[in-house]
Amino acid sequence: MNNSLISIKNLVKYFPIKKGVFRSTVGWIKAVDKISFDIYNGETLGLVGESGCGKSTTALTILRLEEPTSGEIFFQGENISSINKKQMRKYRKDLQIIFQDPYSSLDPRMKIKNIIAEGLAAHNLLDSRTRVQKVGELLERVGIPPDYMDRFPHEFSGGQRQRIGIARALALNPKMIICDEAVSALDVSIRSQIINLFKELQSEFNLTYLFIAHDLSVIKYISDRVAVMYLGKIVEIAPKDIFFKNTLHPYAIALVSAVPVPNPDFKRKRILLPGDVPSPANPPKGCRFHPRCQKVMEICSQVEPELKKLDKDHYVSCHLY
Amino acid sequence: MENKNRDKVLEVKNLKTYFFTEDGIVKAVDGVDFEVYQGETLGLVGESGCGKSVTAFSILKLLDYPGKTVEGQILFKEDDLLKKSEEQMRKIRGKEIAMIFQEPMTSLNPVFTIGFQIAESLKVHYKMSNLEARKKVIELLEKVGIPIPEQRVDEYPHQLSGGMRQRAMIAMALACDPVLLIADEPTTSLDVTIQAQILELMKTLLKQFNSSLIMITHDLGVIAEIADRIAVMYAGKIVEYTDTRSIFFSPLHPYTFGLLTSIPRLDMEMEKLESIPGVVPDPLHFPEGCKFHPRCGFATERCRKEEPSLLEIENGHIVRCWQVDRVREEAKKIAFTRRLAVVE
Ligand SMILES: Nc1ncnc2c1ncn2[C@@H]1O[C@H](COP(=O)(O)OP(=O)(O)OP(=O)(O)O)[C@@H](O)[C@H]1O
Ligand SMILES: Nc1ncnc2c1ncn2[C@@H]1O[C@H](COP(=O)(O)OP(=O)(O)OP(=O)(O)O)[C@@H](O)[C@H]1O
Ligand code: SF4
Ligand code: SF4
Ligand SMILES: [Mg+2]
Ligand SMILES: [Mg+2]
Repeated sequence: MNNSLISIKNLVKYFPIKKGVFRSTVGWIKAVDKISFDIYNGETLGLVGESGCGKSTTALTILRLEEPTSGEIFFQGENISSINKKQMRKYRKDLQIIFQDPYSSLDPRMKIKNIIAEGLAAHNLLDSRTRVQKVGELLERVGIPPDYMDRFPHEFSGGQRQRIGIARALALNPKMIICDEAVSALDVSIRSQIINLFKELQSEFNLTYLFIAHDLSVIKYISDRVAVMYLGKIVEIAPKDIFFKNTLHPYAIALVSAVPVPNPDFKRKRILLPGDVPSPANPPKGCRFHPRCQKVMEICSQVEPELKKLDKDHYVSCHLY
Repeated sequence: MENKNRDKVLEVKNLKTYFFTEDGIVKAVDGVDFEVYQGETLGLVGESGCGKSVTAFSILKLLDYPGKTVEGQILFKEDDLLKKSEEQMRKIRGKEIAMIFQEPMTSLNPVFTIGFQIAESLKVHYKMSNLEARKKVIELLEKVGIPIPEQRVDEYPHQLSGGMRQRAMIAMALACDPVLLIADEPTTSLDVTIQAQILELMKTLLKQFNSSLIMITHDLGVIAEIADRIAVMYAGKIVEYTDTRSIFFSPLHPYTFGLLTSIPRLDMEMEKLESIPGVVPDPLHFPEGCKFHPRCGFATERCRKEEPSLLEIENGHIVRCWQVDRVREEAKKIAFTRRLAVVE
């Protein structure tokens, strides 16, 4: 796909499980296990799935903040999966990330103006006076009075800290921002302010987002396409409208049906999944969802389904299709 | 409302719980009134810091220094809990009123088996023998859907998954057939498919046990699903209080209205999310007049000066706002499209 900003091929990330005095490796946590997908220029790809399914690991590996175990990552057509740290530097400013907890990601001893200008300084961009001016503009843009730039992170509310995190990410004019549960910890009234800010900034700065969240309602609102992960695998990817009208993967269907809807008259068939998500250290054979799947067939416990293209841009990994 | 004929299990009147901190007095709960009827679920919703948990802790008299309930009554079966001694409270807690917390790990003791912990209250309140209690615990674990309960009963909390721990907490809460359950964000830390399991379980068990529930959450979706009536809190006070359908389809308080238009939702297409400007006020520096006025699109001069009181506007629909009529008109437009969007 030529309009892909990011293209991931067979990406794998295993974490070793170490035991004993000699810390020998006794097994592997298969956090991300051979996933492939593209992120198109200018879009928002929503990545959803339950705790531990590998969303953050996917994000960190794309940024090379975690080293991929195998597989390839292309950024604007260039393979960045095996280039060294120094070569990676030139891509750093194009790829930014914003985390869930703005508090822990902002250094408490730094004034926010230095937090925001850190990237500019690291890349030797702008002289110090222009930098301050730029910080002021960025703060203003994310809705924080520029004269607060000499304050410290603890002087701000959760929503404001998230705005500061956004200003920091914007400082280097990135091409893509990965939002890893960036609005999950915020209260309803603040969350919608920040979601709207993300949307405005996207068109203003021509940004591409990988938007990670466990809340499907938020994903539905903000995304152009939706990708669902389960236990280290992508099980379904589709443009948003198609995904919500015609959800195909049994796990994705159950996930959609489990979302509480703020409407007491809303009636639907809820699919209650039995049991818990299995451990990624020891995922079930065949289809990883098979022990909990209502549609399970003979083949499902034997053969792992591939992510198949069904309709235009609708991919599913399930033997039913 | 039909509730009028049912038995009142709990009546909270003008509850005020303050924290006397070094920086000043935090009026965490500042004049809260509500009642809970037999067999119903009352939802307590509001954003972080509005006083939901402090309300719950006040009912059970579990406040720590520097928190203190300074005024009000908590009538439980017509007896004022605030007048009871700690020893009398101990007989009520766990037996007649039980609580489920957000993070089961904080209320389960890691060094005892879950069986031991659930049996504890049975032995205390019902003087059951070890054997009797164990039998009952296994029964309870089975009821809350824990597989192989004969085995699980001897496991420690860390051996269970988050969802299973929350089930164990529910079993513990229900052990003595409480009249009233208070659940403080019981599903907030769980994944949505596990949350769905737990909500279904709670609904089934409430019917079975005919217990009442105060469900505390900030999630409007969860509350729509489980509550019969809802109290919306803002800055230590209830701002709107009525049945669930009225809250969602004809809200009369600007804050409720604002919340409903700021949540993205699965049941309808949304062009744009509204948002409530500004932030929740600092409890040490509450604004004059209506506490919501700095964020309220309906605010007038009067709102900035005088605090409205809770008034019954329509039959059983109680609101704290000077501008109810204007809000009603606005809400009608939105509610109308909302209802249309509900295609089944
Ligand atoms: N540095 C690490 N070392 C070992 N295991 C890890 C590490 N990072 C993640 N894992 C494991 O990899 C799996 C995937 O974790 P990841 O954080 O990617 O999940 P997630 O989808 O982001 O979950 P959440 O919704 O809870 O944030 C989990 O089982 C996790 O425990
Ligand atoms: N020990 C304490 N000392 C001082 N203030 C406190 C204390 N405990 C709670 N508060 C304050 O009381 C207010 C109400 O807190 P409460 O925990 O009831 O909020 P909540 O509605 O349960 O919020 P959340 O959704 O975050 O759980 C808050 O402003 C909080 O800061
Ligand atoms: S492959 Fe089989 S087990 Fe897996 S989701 Fe499809 S039907 Fe269910
Ligand atoms: S009283 Fe005034 S400020 Fe308060 S909610 Fe009503 S309209 Fe808004
Ligand atoms: Mg994560
Ligand atoms: Mg609380």
